[in-house]
Amino acid sequence: MQTILVVDDELGAIEVVATALEDEGYRVLSAANGRHGLEKLTEGQVDLAVIDFMMPLVDGTAMAREMKANPAFKNIPIIMMSAVGESVVRERFDGYAAFLRKPFRISALIDTVRRVLA
Amino acid sequence: MTGADDSVPSLARLSSGISGLDDILHGGLLEGGVYILQGSPGAGKTVLANEICFRHAARGGRAAYVTLLAEMHTRLLQHLRPMSFFDESVIPNSLYYVSAFHTLEGDGLKGLIDVLRREIKGQKADLLVVDGLVAAQESAPSDREFKKFINELQAHASVSGCTVLLLTSGLLRHVSAEHTMVDGVFELEDQLFEFRTERSLIVRKFRGSGFLRGRHSFRISDEGVKFFPRVEAVFASASRPDTISDAKIPMGIPGIDKMLLGGLPEATTTGLIGPSGIGKTTVGLHFLSQSNAQEPGLLFGFFETPERLCLKARHLGLEVGKAVDRGHVELLWQPQRENVLDELAHRLIDAVRRRKVKRLFIDGLGGFLESATSPQRVSRFFSCLTNELRALGATTIFTMEVPEITGPVVRVPSSGVSALLENLVFLRFVERGSSLSRLLSVHKVRDSGHDPSLREFYITDRGLHVGEAFEGVEGLTTGVAREPASAAASPPPAAPNV
Repeated sequence: MQTILVVDDELGAIEVVATALEDEGYRVLSAANGRHGLEKLTEGQVDLAVIDFMMPLVDGTAMAREMKANPAFKNIPIIMMSAVGESVVRERFDGYAAFLRKPFRISALIDTVRRVLA
Repeated sequence: MTGADDSVPSLARLSSGISGLDDILHGGLLEGGVYILQGSPGAGKTVLANEICFRHAARGGRAAYVTLLAEMHTRLLQHLRPMSFFDESVIPNSLYYVSAFHTLEGDGLKGLIDVLRREIKGQKADLLVVDGLVAAQESAPSDREFKKFINELQAHASVSGCTVLLLTSGLLRHVSAEHTMVDGVFELEDQLFEFRTERSLIVRKFRGSGFLRGRHSFRISDEGVKFFPRVEAVFASASRPDTISDAKIPMGIPGIDKMLLGGLPEATTTGLIGPSGIGKTTVGLHFLSQSNAQEPGLLFGFFETPERLCLKARHLGLEVGKAVDRGHVELLWQPQRENVLDELAHRLIDAVRRRKVKRLFIDGLGGFLESATSPQRVSRFFSCLTNELRALGATTIFTMEVPEITGPVVRVPSSGVSALLENLVFLRFVERGSSLSRLLSVHKVRDSGHDPSLREFYITDRGLHVGEAFEGVEGLTTGVAREPASAAASPPPAAPNV
């Protein structure tokens, strides 16, 4: 079973994304900000990180940059998600595998996850 | 050391950037202050706070918006996107949205204050919005802990110069700890008046500054939030001294100007009272047709569109349309919808100021009266409004419609208002044989003599013309004229019952 880490400061967003991914047979870990997200990565094998852009304490791009700088996590593909446009996110970090503009449909999430994990 | 060096520097202001709100707050929020913005769900707190953030970012400031509710920022931004102030380019560099819901759930108030402190520092924010203070209050183990949280937040805001807005749906039912501690409490309401609602703001407290007390209306549209400071508060004193002059402003109708001994006294307010169809708007179009670059004119009307007014003027031989083209006259039409009384007044005052209007024709008073949700304030409202118009040097004519087409009684639409008008001109129909004649009389003129006679007037394709005084006819003011049985025995005409 593949494990996906979902990092978002909005509880509603985590619940929706986690439930949809669990329904597809994935194991889901979650965290409410980048700092907790980095801690979760150390708890076991993570195959994909779905990370929100704006979060308190450590934001999505800061977390992603730390992942890429750490040999243990640098190969974990990242899907960035945000309510603002991709160009704004790309200015700060462009090492992600896919981008999802919020709000998105569950089908778009599942398709993107499958594509990135294929 | 001079006295100026000894003086304590005044507290710097943070402009809200919201139309009218800084006027209510005498210049804006105080930098580093902590303010509660409270109101029921739907009162407008979130839109107002977001617009303040976007306006702040547009001026080069930095803001952080922290929600404590299980609400999606995505949804919030979707709702804000159609509004004119929304500018995605300021997110996230100048305006940053985060949720601290998880933090509050997991780490309580201690974790929350840590997040807020870090967001102020990390985002270099000089404006912080915390949306959902009630959630923080509910998660506090005791009132003491909640007070401690507010106190710590105030300390961080003060040392970092960050102004904080705390949004809560709790109402100020009683004086609670947070209300006594913060620097200001602003309450938003959406009140129901029979079938319509009107939004309003009351500043309950604003430490370190004066402010306009009482209730002030506001409106939310795609343009954002606009406040309309209550006329009686903002114009309690006119914005400039009232300069009295002996000059007369001709109405543009020779017969009436003769009765007025040259025209209306400059910078006075005149009530033009009469039934529908008598010719009130026609008088106003004559008045405006005299406008020029030195005496710009404005028609502030509720009933007829600018196109119809120009057509009407053309049928009277008056070149109002050309005066509009030359910029000498502006026609501002206010469609009869659910208008806000103070919004109308500010629109009027702004238009008068913008073009330094000297000839103002308001058609008519009823448009204002129908917008008033509180009839008891109408008299004071008009007192302050007309004072300001005088101070701005506008010679103003209000039309006031009476319901009776003919008859012995003239009911002034609002007696409290008519007392505020310096000049009164009555237009009435009088039955004469098998036809209706039009009758004009001047009842009062400020500090000036006038011709008090009753005169017939005519409206033709060359405009309005005043005839001679009625002679040999009695009962004019009853609405039915008759030939006297004996001229010698005829009593003088009765004074109209006003």
